[in-house]
Amino acid sequence: MLTLQDLHVSFHGTRVLQGVTFSVTHGETVGIIGPNGCGKTTLFNCISGFVDASSGTLTFQNKDISRLPPHQRAQSGLGRVFQNFGIFREMTLLENLLIAIEAKRGAANPLFPWSKRAKKNEALALSYLNEVGLAEKARSKASSLSGGQMRLLEITRTLAVGADLFLLDEPTAGVSPKMKEDVVAIIKRLQTLGKTILIIEHDITFIQKFCSRVIVLNEGRVVLDDIPERVRADERLKDIYFGRDEERVT
Amino acid sequence: MSLLFEAITSEYTIHLCVLCGLYLILAQSLNLTFGLGQLFNLAHVASYAVGAYTTALLATEAESPFWVCVTASVLTSGVFALLLGAIALRLSNDYFAIGTLAFSSVVSSLLINWRSVTHGVLGIPGIPRPDLLGADLYQNSHFLALMSIFVVVTQVLFYLLYSSPFGRALRGLAEYEQAALALGRDTRLIRNFAFFFSSAGAGLAGSLFAYYLSYIDPSSFSLGEMVFILTIVIVGRPGSYWGVIAATIFLVLLPEPLRFLQIDSAYLGPARQLIHATLLFSVVWWKRRVLFPQQRQV
Repeated sequence: MLTLQDLHVSFHGTRVLQGVTFSVTHGETVGIIGPNGCGKTTLFNCISGFVDASSGTLTFQNKDISRLPPHQRAQSGLGRVFQNFGIFREMTLLENLLIAIEAKRGAANPLFPWSKRAKKNEALALSYLNEVGLAEKARSKASSLSGGQMRLLEITRTLAVGADLFLLDEPTAGVSPKMKEDVVAIIKRLQTLGKTILIIEHDITFIQKFCSRVIVLNEGRVVLDDIPERVRADERLKDIYFGRDEERVT
Repeated sequence: MSLLFEAITSEYTIHLCVLCGLYLILAQSLNLTFGLGQLFNLAHVASYAVGAYTTALLATEAESPFWVCVTASVLTSGVFALLLGAIALRLSNDYFAIGTLAFSSVVSSLLINWRSVTHGVLGIPGIPRPDLLGADLYQNSHFLALMSIFVVVTQVLFYLLYSSPFGRALRGLAEYEQAALALGRDTRLIRNFAFFFSSAGAGLAGSLFAYYLSYIDPSSFSLGEMVFILTIVIVGRPGSYWGVIAATIFLVLLPEPLRFLQIDSAYLGPARQLIHATLLFSVVWWKRRVLFPQQRQV
């Protein structure tokens, strides 16, 4: 479904991604871990089109998307959930959903705001909100939500826009332990819907719950790419997070 | 009672109403780009000038009818915005403001120096008032009636635009552009549309202004005029439809009491500017966090 081939990204001479190569098949859930600054978010920005790759190719659903602008990548089914909450805080929850639905199904004619299409889009938005228990707050500003609720709204919105591949950048960051379970539940729901998921997380124990595969990035390179159990047991993971034995002694 | 009627129908009151109507169109159209789209567009006054000069030239040189002049002004200003947008919309934030200001200066210079067409600082006199359905539009009260129709129609259209899916997308990309892109919205296209509608609105105001005064010159489209329109939008709260309507009426009428004070006319103009500047500074200072929110980035 998604193939990255020898992807390189540099910022002002600093090489952030150095020949990243891996593939993700349809319906797979892949975790991406690595220490701070290893290039995880840059990798997502590069896949989403917010950062240009200096070389390498990016194929999504058998199409080369390397040169496509971000909005066209999104239209082709790439969904992005941002680490710093990508919702529109100044809008209501309903409007947040409507923007996504209108992008996918087409907008109602502005001269006929009470048209059938407008009503249909609103009913659909409310049904999405209802599924995650946010329908009661439909007409409240999104800024009034808790971190967990914001995350639920953002993932639901990405679902509403019709994404096939979800790029979840630390979906539990800024989320209370109680709401974390709700975020896990919605990720599991995406899995049952057959969606493909790439998820950045720091906690390998957490992503072990739903990832069939884990990719470890370090200094912009793929160091490990295996099932979570084997990655966890691999000595190289400890080296990356805690340094080599001899370094630890010194 | 008759005194009240006289006051309402006096030329002075009618003039104030026409001014309110003009600035309502100008401010509400700027509100689309500056308020909803958070585009610091300083070329709005240039679009206003393009609209006014299009009508003035067509009405005097080609003796074109009213509807042709108005339509041509709206379209010319709209196309002007698309040309400007093709360059300026590639610039970000502050650079966009500088780019549009530069464009506005170019238009201002053209109006002054392209004498064979614009008549330079002498301006274009003798713009005939339109002849519509047998109404004598040389009477200001009749012109006000015509103006009111345009004001109501444009305010309704802008209201629909603000609350439409387009307005929603514009607000979304202003708040967090990458999030809008991630939802598949073509942010450049949306901004170009906003720019087009906003500039077309200014073009319409320019056309009506040219007909109303029957004379235009470059001094009506100065940076000072741009600052006044910007002040209206800022005082009314950028993005607020009703706020901008209230601020337009408030700011157009605010300096009027000065006329009735015993102030030398040499001081009257600067006093008006001082009031506007103080108000603008106070609102920007008081509401700085709302007016200039931190840009969100991935």
